Amino acid sequence: MNTTAYTGRATNWPSVIISGLLLVPLIGLAASSGSVPETVVAFTVLALVGLLAEVVTASDVRASCGPHGVNIHWGFLGWPRAKYSLVDIANASVVDVPWWAVSYGFWWTPGRTVCTVRTGPALRLHLVNGRTVTVTVPDPHRALAALRIAGNGG
Amino acid sequence: MHWTLDHSSTQRLQDQVAACVVRGLHTGELSVGEQLPPAAELAEAISVDRNTVLAAYRQLREAGILEFRRGRGARIAATAETGDLAPVRHAVQAAIDLARRYGLDSSDVITLVKELS
Repeated sequence: MNTTAYTGRATNWPSVIISGLLLVPLIGLAASSGSVPETVVAFTVLALVGLLAEVVTASDVRASCGPHGVNIHWGFLGWPRAKYSLVDIANASVVDVPWWAVSYGFWWTPGRTVCTVRTGPALRLHLVNGRTVTVTVPDPHRALAALRIAGNGG
Repeated sequence: MHWTLDHSSTQRLQDQVAACVVRGLHTGELSVGEQLPPAAELAEAISVDRNTVLAAYRQLREAGILEFRRGRGARIAATAETGDLAPVRHAVQAAIDLARRYGLDSSDVITLVKELS
């Protein structure tokens, strides 16, 4: 019995760098909180938390495709994560994501889940419940091939 | 990165996992500094035990192909040989040329390779 699987990781380096650069003045402002109003400090802390959450969860996406279906891990900590088994996937395809449709992180709407960190080809899953899941992987054609092999019983 | 394992093979699964990494290096799928999937995630993807993946990663570290950094997982080491496929390509081309002289086409060559391997 053969097992064929695909693993890939895509990192949104511009987002990581911009977020890192934005953190510096925010940390500076928070550090000098003794001379600024409390509301400014509160907003600064909130912004800091938001930026950290963005860096941790939305700058990086890892995906694996194979007999288990598709597993997606967001962020450097691998969380949040999503799992779609083969029976949940009606079909899959490779789509080209234009610059204006890149989510730069995790997006969820009632009809779709998107995790795209760059333009170009991405893997799109069409689930049996009607939802679509679009995820950036380094080589979506290979990911699709692994899914098709798994769907045919290896 | 593409992983193919034969669960019915006599070759140990950990050796097959290690061989996938080495093949990835030679085909250019993996490059120096690239991070490999965490053992638990890879184990789930290729339907093996996590300890099998860990054993393969340790085997590759001992061979100087992988390096472990605290909190950053397993990466392709700078000492790993990312040899290209040029010698193999030349040998296959020579075999194809010879086969053509004997009146064989590419499907005959593929059949012959499968018989021999």
